[in-house]
Amino acid sequence: MKKALLKDSIKEIKNNYKRFLSLLLMAFLGVGFFAGIRATSPDMVDSVDTYYKDQKMYDLQVISTLGLTQNDIEAIKKIDGVDIVEGTYETEGKLEIDNKEIITKVLCIDELNKPLLIEGQLPQNANECVVEENFLEQNNKAIGDTITIEIENMQNDDGEDVEYLYNKELKIVGTVKSPLYISNERGNSTLGDGRIDYYIYVSKDNIQAKDTYTNIYVTLKDVNKYQTASSKYEDCVNEVKDKIEEIKGERENARHNELVEKATNKVNDAQAEFDKQKQEADQKIADAQKEIDDGKIEIENNEAEIKENEQKAEVEFANAKKQITSAKQEIQANEKALQTKKQEVDSQISQLESQRQSLVEQKNTLNTQLESLQSTYNQIVAQLQNGELDDEARKELESKKQNLESQIQIINNTIESINSGITEIEKGINEANSQIKQAESKIQSAKTQLSSQEKQLNTEESNTNAQLEEAKRQIEQAKIKLQQGQQELDAQKQEAEQQLQEAESKLIDAREKIAEIENPEWYILDRYANTGYSSFVQDKESVKNIGRVFPVVFFLVAVLISLTSMTRMVEEQRTQIGTLKALGYNKIQIASKYVMYSSLACIIGGLLGMNVGFILIPSLIWRMYEVVYQIPEFLISFNWEYSGAGLVIICACIIGATIYSSVKELRQEPAILMRPKAPKMGKRVLLERINFIWKRLSFSQKVTIRNIFRYKKRFMMTIIGILGCTSLILAGFGLKDSIGSLMPNQYGKIFKYDMQINLKDGLDEKQKQQYIDELTKKQEIEDTLETYMTTSTAISSENEEDVQIIVPKNQEELEKMISLISIYNKEKIELQKGQICITDKLAQLLGVKQGDTITLKNGDEEKQIVISNVTENYVYHYAYMTKETYEELYQTQYDTNAILTKNVEMNDEQEENLATEIMNQNEVASLSMNSSVEEVMNTTMESLNYVVVVLIVSAGLLAFAVLYNLSNVNISERIRELATIKVLGFYDKEVYSYVTRETILLTIIGILFGLIGGYFLNYFIIGTCEIDMLRFSKIIHPISYLYAILITVLFTVIVNIFTYFALKKIDMIESLKSIE
Amino acid sequence: MSYIEFKDVCKQYKMGEIVINALNNTNFKIEEGELVVIVGPSGAGKTTALNILGGMDTATSGKVIVDNKEVTRLKNKQLIQYRREEIGFVFQFYNLVQNLTAKENVELATQICKDSLDVEEVLEKVGLKDRMNNFPSQLSGGEQQRVAIARAIAKNPKLLLCDEPTGALDYKTGKQILKLLQDTSKKENMTVIIITHNSAIAPMAHKVIHFKNGTAEKVEYNQNPKPIDEIEW
Repeated sequence: MKKALLKDSIKEIKNNYKRFLSLLLMAFLGVGFFAGIRATSPDMVDSVDTYYKDQKMYDLQVISTLGLTQNDIEAIKKIDGVDIVEGTYETEGKLEIDNKEIITKVLCIDELNKPLLIEGQLPQNANECVVEENFLEQNNKAIGDTITIEIENMQNDDGEDVEYLYNKELKIVGTVKSPLYISNERGNSTLGDGRIDYYIYVSKDNIQAKDTYTNIYVTLKDVNKYQTASSKYEDCVNEVKDKIEEIKGERENARHNELVEKATNKVNDAQAEFDKQKQEADQKIADAQKEIDDGKIEIENNEAEIKENEQKAEVEFANAKKQITSAKQEIQANEKALQTKKQEVDSQISQLESQRQSLVEQKNTLNTQLESLQSTYNQIVAQLQNGELDDEARKELESKKQNLESQIQIINNTIESINSGITEIEKGINEANSQIKQAESKIQSAKTQLSSQEKQLNTEESNTNAQLEEAKRQIEQAKIKLQQGQQELDAQKQEAEQQLQEAESKLIDAREKIAEIENPEWYILDRYANTGYSSFVQDKESVKNIGRVFPVVFFLVAVLISLTSMTRMVEEQRTQIGTLKALGYNKIQIASKYVMYSSLACIIGGLLGMNVGFILIPSLIWRMYEVVYQIPEFLISFNWEYSGAGLVIICACIIGATIYSSVKELRQEPAILMRPKAPKMGKRVLLERINFIWKRLSFSQKVTIRNIFRYKKRFMMTIIGILGCTSLILAGFGLKDSIGSLMPNQYGKIFKYDMQINLKDGLDEKQKQQYIDELTKKQEIEDTLETYMTTSTAISSENEEDVQIIVPKNQEELEKMISLISIYNKEKIELQKGQICITDKLAQLLGVKQGDTITLKNGDEEKQIVISNVTENYVYHYAYMTKETYEELYQTQYDTNAILTKNVEMNDEQEENLATEIMNQNEVASLSMNSSVEEVMNTTMESLNYVVVVLIVSAGLLAFAVLYNLSNVNISERIRELATIKVLGFYDKEVYSYVTRETILLTIIGILFGLIGGYFLNYFIIGTCEIDMLRFSKIIHPISYLYAILITVLFTVIVNIFTYFALKKIDMIESLKSIE
Repeated sequence: MSYIEFKDVCKQYKMGEIVINALNNTNFKIEEGELVVIVGPSGAGKTTALNILGGMDTATSGKVIVDNKEVTRLKNKQLIQYRREEIGFVFQFYNLVQNLTAKENVELATQICKDSLDVEEVLEKVGLKDRMNNFPSQLSGGEQQRVAIARAIAKNPKLLLCDEPTGALDYKTGKQILKLLQDTSKKENMTVIIITHNSAIAPMAHKVIHFKNGTAEKVEYNQNPKPIDEIEW
């Protein structure tokens, strides 16, 4: 390029900086969007890949229905391509904080799937744990706090309960992020309300139930070279997965045998123990019986002895009594004799008495005589004493005295003899009396003796009797005791027998159970089994798909814009081009100026766009997903592939447009170029021929229509610009509508039930009915439906998908819970005998329709079945068949395993309470509330709202760029015309409406087409964004059309305001100056 | 007081630091119904004066009075109204709207005026009765200029301002156009001002204003303007 030309080119940029900037902006937006959106998906993958690699995320995972052993690990280790194989323990626990029940996943820290430490430290001791950050925030806990976790006991291989952890009280020592949980979804549990809220990590030392591993995690050797989710990575993983599949059967059998062996041993031991115990018990009972029998004999002996003694005593007592009686008789006889004697004695005594009486009388007489004698004597004596008495007298007196004395003597003697006679008599009486007394006392003593004897005898008798009684009583007691003992023994015997029987039946059960030990099933899972990962991959695919659509729109617009502005630029510079040509510059040299001009704009804009786009767009999009995903760091990488591609495409677009527009002019001769371009000829439009319409149009309407058809290119571009804008906005809102309708459709229109209760295995019909009755009694529950649910793989010639098969117990009642609506005629579907009804998306993925046959695969079992109809459905895949069809197809007895319920309106708390209540029931294995499923899904879906915002913003930018540019080109192209009408005296508003009328009409047309375009764009976007598991209904609410229209109008109005001022600024004089 | 008066009108353009005096104390008067020809070399300020008179430009200082109205005082909107109701413009390059037929171009002007004339009559007057449904590109230069004149006079303006109306036309056509202007002036008693650098046509006017270096240097009066047919150049 010549120097002068170069200078001119650079000056051109200075002079025409607005145009330059608009090109630059287009390149900026085009490349920025392209590179940014394109880079987002790889950035997402890169971020998760780096995270996974850093934390040694597993590549494959094995879980088994019956636990995994060290042998399994060894077996997997032997497989080619396997790097680290590690067994681990995972379970769920319950904890209560502030009366709130929290279900948490309990993981242990291993080499693989290492949690990323955020704060604090990893657990070092058995009494420490780490939690996720949310846990602390949402439960007002801090590092250093202690939590108590409750975990159900595990059963070891011997069937014994083992505590899962050594320490239930755990100190929080840090917060972590787990690579196993990159999304907010924590999975389901059989505990509490069935939803896991958090995860915590404990030290492996704290695990007590170490018998078997719950999971085996495997990393592969060769995958580190590849990015996760890349096809090479997946090939690599699948290769090893297949190899593990190969040993699966063998390992399952080994585990089965191991369990059977263990159980058999145990049963045998138990049998031996049982036998021993039985023997012991028998012995014990026999001993006891013998004891009792002995006791009986003894009692019998004792009884005999007592009888004997009794008899003896009786005889003895009889004798004694006889003796006593005879003694009594004797005494009586004696008494009689005594009596007689006494009478005799008495008569004697009375004789004696009378004798004595006479004696006494004699005596008394004597005494009287004596007394008189005495007195005479005394007189004599007294007379004697009297000295005066003469001797004679004396003598006489003396003699008299003597006489008297002798008389007295005699009397005295007689008295004496009487006295002695009396004494004698008295003596005799006394003697008799004493004899009688003696006899009496003798009898008395005999009597006394006898009575004492009798008394003694009686005492003895009563003693003996008492003794006998006592002995009898004792025997009686002993007998009762013995009886009791016997009863007790009988009871014990019965009990023992029962126990033994129980033990025996247990043994039998145990034996039966051994037979029943099912073959364990291994599930070999890749990362897609991780909910977070699989939804992440799906999301990144959605982003990728969106990245395919949007940049195209931008590139298209960039081409259009650059085409119009460069054409205009070249046209404006006709004269200059002519001059240069006349001066001898060749076409390439002249064109190079414009090419350079636009290339510079492209490259500068592109490079800027690239840099901004690479950083801004992935971060912006990531910001939406950040709500859902927990990845420590979002890695933004500069991707030369995309940026190069973007830059090349935008350059190709804009430079191509430049070359196209300049070549057109350059073809002409310099002379022609130097003359002003002949204005485009006015033409009649087709509409003018239709007189009756044309006549009716006002002047300005005619002008408008003529103008529109005159500037066909601009007309097209405006329409395309508006169309693009409207359709992007509509697609955005449509996407929102579609996504928004997903949950109401699935959980309102299709699934009318509110809760699904999965029952435990092995409940019989009666138990189930009882439970359902109980359930129906609950106030909260309006209606129930028993059903059978199972998962199967549906296979067609094209594809295979997992599907949930629902077999209702009662077909008529199914429609209360689930609406089956045919996608063909929107009518209610009746399930056909021997056929299956599948859901819409499944039919699409499998590429099948009504009447086709699909295969249902469960394990090795494959069943062919005809599709009777295809039903509307929005989330996941389902298949419905009747009970009879099921029984016929699988040749098994139909049995229900789940209950669907319809509940009354409840708030969250009530619902949670109900869930907890139901979960606590024995019959229930797990429970899922549609409302909580809905909630979880809604959160995920919310992030898509940002996509809508992005769509609207980009649509706005697009509309603005296009309209503004076109409006500028329009004004510049028609500046003379506009100046003319200004000169003619058009007010600013009139000038504005003169121009805008066209824009408005074009906008209306653009919007109309845009609404149609948007409908299809929405269709397309939904088609590309749609996740396999979901069916977005392609609906757009009327309000969304309105929004699309309003927002487009808003952008148009903004651009028109700019136009208004641009028109106002038109300098009539300058514009009308003669063309140089 | 005259119908049109320019009193000490100045117009300065600032081009960066340089101030260009396009008009420098210009003074002249024109009476109603006069046909005035303004002559002078390029850059003498003819067009500037005409633009100021026509309300397309504003004076830096001085007064312009038209029919007792001080044009220099008018605000933007009033200026537009002034252009709309009182002025008809004819340019060298016709400035027809290419997308409109001859008739429509005239209508473009008449539809915004209150006292506009009948479009077809006006077109008949300018001799384009048969071609009124033709687009500008289908018309010759002279015909296009006639359309332009028709558009200007159809508004029934007080003033008809023509900036080099024959500049792009050949002699014969130019003459026809000038005749049309002279006839219009005479028949309609319309004040017509024509800018030209061809002083030869000066005799056709009632008044000839000579511009030089941004001022009306000299004003000539013709008591008896010659019909254009009689003028040869």
